[in-house]
Amino acid sequence: MNNPELESILKRARQPEIPEESLAMFPRRIVARLKSDDTSTRVTRNLVPRIAWAFGLVACVVIAFGIGRWHGRMETEKTLATDSLANLKLISETLAMFPNRVRAIVQDEHGLKLVLSDTDDVPASSPLYVRICDGKHCSSLVTFSGQEIQVAGQKITVLAGADGKIILTGDKFVWSNTERHLAGSRLKIEAKNLGPATM
Amino acid sequence: MAQMAGSDNESLLIEQSLSGDPEAYAALVIQHQTMIRAVAFRMTGSPDDAEELAQDAFLRAYRQLASFNSGSKFSTWLCQIAINLSLDWRRRESRRDGIHSKWAADVATDANKGAEFPDELSRRVQAALDRLPVKQRAAIVLTIYENQSHAEAAKTLGCTEATISWRVFAARRKLKRLLNDLSHEQS
Repeated sequence: MNNPELESILKRARQPEIPEESLAMFPRRIVARLKSDDTSTRVTRNLVPRIAWAFGLVACVVIAFGIGRWHGRMETEKTLATDSLANLKLISETLAMFPNRVRAIVQDEHGLKLVLSDTDDVPASSPLYVRICDGKHCSSLVTFSGQEIQVAGQKITVLAGADGKIILTGDKFVWSNTERHLAGSRLKIEAKNLGPATM
Repeated sequence: MAQMAGSDNESLLIEQSLSGDPEAYAALVIQHQTMIRAVAFRMTGSPDDAEELAQDAFLRAYRQLASFNSGSKFSTWLCQIAINLSLDWRRRESRRDGIHSKWAADVATDANKGAEFPDELSRRVQAALDRLPVKQRAAIVLTIYENQSHAEAAKTLGCTEATISWRVFAARRKLKRLLNDLSHEQS
């Protein structure tokens, strides 16, 4: 068989006849599918922004709730510190009850704690207020220069100079209220001298 | 002149379709359905599959109508969509029948049993086409039934002219073997 013979056979082959009804219905089916596709596309188009808005709204509510809780917790912590350790009267009365024996008054997530020396060997000096946050928890304390206190999971020594300088040294850091770059850890520290008013 | 009028009418229908008139598109479907359904039947060998494939081709063409270049022939563009859809369709089918690949040819032959051919020669030719690899079949459908040149077929299938020539050559060789006895009957 040569090419023209093959081509002749192929071209003589006819297809099954398509029923008239099918020919008439075919364009109708296409139009129906176009319309249904259009409707579903429109529904999807309308739905997508709505879903996005809903997700956005939910995300905003969750973020606002989270910020609210975080802020609330910070406020609570701040309030606790303010209520107890910023209460100079409470501090002076506590110091008066245990003269030269109070090494520190510590407030952390577990509450207020009094650290006393066995003997009255704590030298009289201006009390120092220290606040230490490690990112998760904050601890506040009122102590005196030269005291070594267990706080924020480590032993911290607090020193105060005559020029108002306060130095904190821990296992892995050194901090000063005048040279804050000395801090060698992620701790956030603030310290101040409460002055002789509490004495 | 009549050709010009037809072409103008087609351009108008395309414009109306683009502006969202489904009835205008239905008119385009009426004009081209016979050709597209014929191509689809040659590619699938089954009237039911051919109808489904032709519907998909017209729907895809509608969605891509904005990309149609008015400088080219609408029928050629439609044919290109139908042929490429049929290649994808065949790929899906062969994946589905992957574990039965050994019997794929028999399945394809069985598929056209549902078709009522007007004569034995037509049935035999379609059965032979069904046994060709799908890309060779597409090359034969385009060059023999759609009268496209090898260059046009290459453009339709997105390959080189040399590839089309090779596919046509390989397809002819196989078809000659499958339909050899028909040639003797003719003589």
